[in-house]
Amino acid sequence: MRGLSTTLTVLSVGIAVALMLILLGSREAGRRAFERGSGNMHMLVSGDSSPLTGILNNVYYANAPRSAFVLSRFDGFWRQQRLPVAWRVPSALGDSYRGLRVLATEPNFFTDFEPNPGEPWEISEGRFLDPEGADPFEVVLGSEAARLTGLGIGDRIFLTHGPGSGKLEAAPALTPDSIGDQTDQADHDDDYDPTAPVEPGGVGHVHDDFVYTVVGIARPTASMHDRVLFSTLTASWISHGTDARRAQMGPDAPVMTEEELVEQQKVVTGVLVRIATREGRDASPAIQMAFNRFRGNPQWTVAQPASEISRLLSIIGSVEGVLLAMAVVVFLSSGLGILLALYNSMEQRRRQVAVLRVLGASRGRVFRLVLIESAVIGLLGSLLGLVVAVGLDGAVTGVFRERYGLYLAIDVVGSGAALVCVGAVVLAIAAGMLPAAVAYRSSVARGLRPLG
Amino acid sequence: MAEQALELTDLRYGYPGGPLVIEVASYGLGAGEQALMVGSSGSGKSTLLQLIAGLLDADAGAVFVGGTDLGSLRGASRDRCRGRSVGMVFQTLNLLVGFSAVENVLAALMFGQKPAAEHRARAEGLLGRLGVERIDARVESLSVGQQQRVAVARALACGPALVLADEPTASLDPENAAVAVELLKEVCQEEGASLLMVSHDPAMRERFGRVDELASINRASEPAGIGGQVQA
Repeated sequence: MRGLSTTLTVLSVGIAVALMLILLGSREAGRRAFERGSGNMHMLVSGDSSPLTGILNNVYYANAPRSAFVLSRFDGFWRQQRLPVAWRVPSALGDSYRGLRVLATEPNFFTDFEPNPGEPWEISEGRFLDPEGADPFEVVLGSEAARLTGLGIGDRIFLTHGPGSGKLEAAPALTPDSIGDQTDQADHDDDYDPTAPVEPGGVGHVHDDFVYTVVGIARPTASMHDRVLFSTLTASWISHGTDARRAQMGPDAPVMTEEELVEQQKVVTGVLVRIATREGRDASPAIQMAFNRFRGNPQWTVAQPASEISRLLSIIGSVEGVLLAMAVVVFLSSGLGILLALYNSMEQRRRQVAVLRVLGASRGRVFRLVLIESAVIGLLGSLLGLVVAVGLDGAVTGVFRERYGLYLAIDVVGSGAALVCVGAVVLAIAAGMLPAAVAYRSSVARGLRPLG
Repeated sequence: MAEQALELTDLRYGYPGGPLVIEVASYGLGAGEQALMVGSSGSGKSTLLQLIAGLLDADAGAVFVGGTDLGSLRGASRDRCRGRSVGMVFQTLNLLVGFSAVENVLAALMFGQKPAAEHRARAEGLLGRLGVERIDARVESLSVGQQQRVAVARALACGPALVLADEPTASLDPENAAVAVELLKEVCQEEGASLLMVSHDPAMRERFGRVDELASINRASEPAGIGGQVQA
């Protein structure tokens, strides 16, 4: 029974330590995970209703952006305002492939925009989108998207209208060879308006007139971009322009060409913007000035990723505080558990203590023996907690990566871990004080009294 | 006169607010000597042994074990002295349950003066001499007879000047009791330890050359409620 009691006590300490480690580790991990992906842009201009929603939708691919705006109006605005824009990367979300999101963008997404500051895009296979390419219907795969879909260079695919869930769907790959009858049954959206808001999670028809070729696979960036397929804005405009034409002229209307596109059809859901600053500087009055100018235009909302992420984390922070408080309570209760387990066992071990005293153990030595036992329970619990935390870390990281594309690098064995483990041992020793005092004061004569 | 293993002088002990239960003017045991102290249940035999071992503080008088006044020592010094000078064997054996036979003996050696490097050999040697066969088995899995031998080995582990045996045969049948006592006497003799055994069993008298009546050396009247060994 005592073995079971000790095991359960060690287990409770282990769980408390694991909880503390995971929570402490995930605090920083959450911040780091959100910081990855927004990269070196200074601001995001989007058609979303709030800056935070814009960041979540356009940078973290949380949902489909609710509305779009005409790119030429945006370009006209900043040029007319003489804003010192170093580069801007327009993008449009709205299509998907087997549930994974497709970001239509311009080739400078891979050259100007760095998903993590100081870590530019790198190609693993093939090439990035070709700025001079004659065929706009090409796709670059994020590393995770390539792994999930199994696509390789040269593979040809169709995209689906609709944002997808962001998770890989079990449906077979839609390729020109496999599409066959499916295209006949595809639900052509005759009412589709490319500038209309896209329903989140809505599944539309297959753009079966347009075959996209995989031309490259990017190296992992440990950000949400890894789960995305990247195509060109031109291709997106052509396919959606064709949809609009067929909505007006009937399903047999010919596909649109690039030359036929009008400015009103060249819409984007977001634009990543970097303001010209001194090299390596991310703080400049020019940034704030540009931000204020963009914000003054009601056609879009503008968001600074860093401040929106801080706002998001402050919302999460209160929940995190509650969780941390709960972990502290679990931690303290495990200390109480040690105290109770040892205190109860003292009654059972009255005889053992008395025998040790007869054999020559001093009261102080008995006191120390109980404290050592208590410390060993704390130490074993800490080690168990560390192992459980590392295991949970792997599981939690995997779930977040698979489900949300969020790369949580939980540092459970960082400097906080040593503190938590030492804390557990100290708490265990403190919890052992009372039982040790009981052992110290226990009467040898009473302890040696025959049972019964 | 040979060096005394045990010497009691004007020893007095009583429970707080109660009558005296022990009042011994003088009592001694020579080095290597073996004696049986007899007395009825509740006569104070166990209390006397606990006073001799320094587990109880006498109200007055002195207890010399191997020439050291155990009563004058306090705290850890007295515990250390007890560990190396006094071995005890109990009626209920009081082995450390959950530990093996050899671990029980090693536990005693932990508090003695022998170098740690010799502990294992000493424990195994003693257990072997006493006929304990499964020295690595947990004591609770051994027979009562084997447990008794482990208890004797533990009492002698540190080479004590004095072994105190408190009714060690009370739970054994007469035949096994005789074997156990002879073994205890023999090993104490081999180890050069004096033996003071208390018993209320009249059959033990014939096995000791010296038999002392507690009633004749304890002048305290009407002892009662002694040290926990009170029996109905």
